[in-house]
Amino acid sequence: MGSSSIEIAINAIKIILIFLIMVKIVPLLVWVERRGSAFIQHRFGPNRVGPLGLLQLLADAVKFLNKEEFVPKEANKKLFYAAPVLALLPAALAFLAIPLGTPISWSFADSAIGDVMIPMQGAVIPMGIIYILGVSSLAAYSLLIAGWSSANKYSIMGALRASAQMISYELALGIAIVGVILVYGTFDLTEIIIAQEGPLRFSFRGTEYVLNFLPNWGIFYQPVGFLLFLVAAFAESNRTPFDLPEAEAELVAGYHTEYSGFKMNLFYIGEYGHMMVASALLSIFYFGGFNIPGLSSTELAGLLAEFIKEPNHISLAMSLIYFVVSFTKILFFLWLFIWVRWTLPRFRYDQLMDLGWKTLLPWTLANVLVTSLIIFISAG
Amino acid sequence: MENIVFYLMEAVILISALLVVLVANPIYSALFLVLTMIGVAGIFVSLDAYFLAAIQLVVYAGAVTVLFVMVVMMFNLQKDAKAFSRGMLGNVLKTLSVVLIWSIVHTAITGVFSDFGRGDLPKIEEGSIAMKSLATHLFTKYVFGFEAISILLLVVIVGSVALAKSKGGTHD
Repeated sequence: MGSSSIEIAINAIKIILIFLIMVKIVPLLVWVERRGSAFIQHRFGPNRVGPLGLLQLLADAVKFLNKEEFVPKEANKKLFYAAPVLALLPAALAFLAIPLGTPISWSFADSAIGDVMIPMQGAVIPMGIIYILGVSSLAAYSLLIAGWSSANKYSIMGALRASAQMISYELALGIAIVGVILVYGTFDLTEIIIAQEGPLRFSFRGTEYVLNFLPNWGIFYQPVGFLLFLVAAFAESNRTPFDLPEAEAELVAGYHTEYSGFKMNLFYIGEYGHMMVASALLSIFYFGGFNIPGLSSTELAGLLAEFIKEPNHISLAMSLIYFVVSFTKILFFLWLFIWVRWTLPRFRYDQLMDLGWKTLLPWTLANVLVTSLIIFISAG
Repeated sequence: MENIVFYLMEAVILISALLVVLVANPIYSALFLVLTMIGVAGIFVSLDAYFLAAIQLVVYAGAVTVLFVMVVMMFNLQKDAKAFSRGMLGNVLKTLSVVLIWSIVHTAITGVFSDFGRGDLPKIEEGSIAMKSLATHLFTKYVFGFEAISILLLVVIVGSVALAKSKGGTHD
């Protein structure tokens, strides 16, 4: 976590801050989702409480806290209480490993502390990709436990659908990522982002080609992989058009039918957390992470040096700029999730399984095969 | 620091592994099995084998045990538990399993672990190099076992598809 005690302290606070960012963005997303859905469907949406209906978030929070705490009579109490917490945990753990900017290096030249390095991510984890895959594969348990412990037919059906869907699409998701790993040759998310800096350049049998008008983003190397990853990510986070687990018309509310108040809120935070992790991965793998198109990090440092003299401040400013850039990309993909939810109708369950096993899986395997063939040929 | 992680994970593994067999409710024992798997992943992390740790999570905790939990949740297993825990046959089976488990544990302690602590064990490399050596071993030295397991899995897949098809389903 760090070499000196002050570094450890700063990093500990940072972990809490990043967790809070993840949690605090959820009410805003709920507001965007409600206003956005209204915009898409030509309605007004919540616009009475506060300016633009923004205080609706506060009203919702008060409502969540004041709901009756209800546990069904036949429910398994321990597991019923454990499930919402387990829903939040995998998303929060996975989000910690996402790099959100360049590290801040700050030197206390006149004191005994010396140089402090603060990476802009919750925890620097080697092999971040498989860590995220591993942690988020545990998310299926919270849904299963929630559905089973509620002692409700709708809940258990929703839970079974949800976990079956998660397991099926995790495979496609993982194999779609293999293409990215093949291209960049690393499991480290930061290394992947750094490799995407500058204009699009690739070498074919020893000759170097540079396309100055395009950024060096992963989508140009893995266009099919991007589409497959996008579809699998939608299914992984149980969003429309794949939100079969909570298909209102068939299952009331699926696995969280019996939940109310704050416990229900935790499920919401878990779902949005999964969306945030998926959006962050999409931006890192295919859209350059915190890179700014057409502006490399040395150019940015040069620009900043014209305004700021202190090297500490330059590092801080650069880190914050990259933080804003990466969050802009993440927010765009979050909006895409919302946009698609209110545009596309829901799949039927057998269509969903067909898509997962008979379409996505063969295509991801073909993507891996073609990618490795091209890498092999172009290496000459 | 590493020692603390090791002993913590060891405690998690031992306690939850014991609870897997001691708890009466099959759902609880399946969930404690998940906890055991997570503990094993933690041990791998404390040994710097990050890849194995993550694969442990993805494959065992994430995929295999989810299926256990799912199947156990589908059935009401209270009756079967009672049927197994009563009668002469049950007692004989219990005694036999105690003898069997004791002999496995004894062999493990005296046979396998007696080599430990000599200090000539190879150290695990870091990062992508570890993966490379793992892959090299898997696809060269142990390729026969690897292929045999994949054929076994293929047989299982074909068998389950055949079983599911013979009863009819939603797909034509």
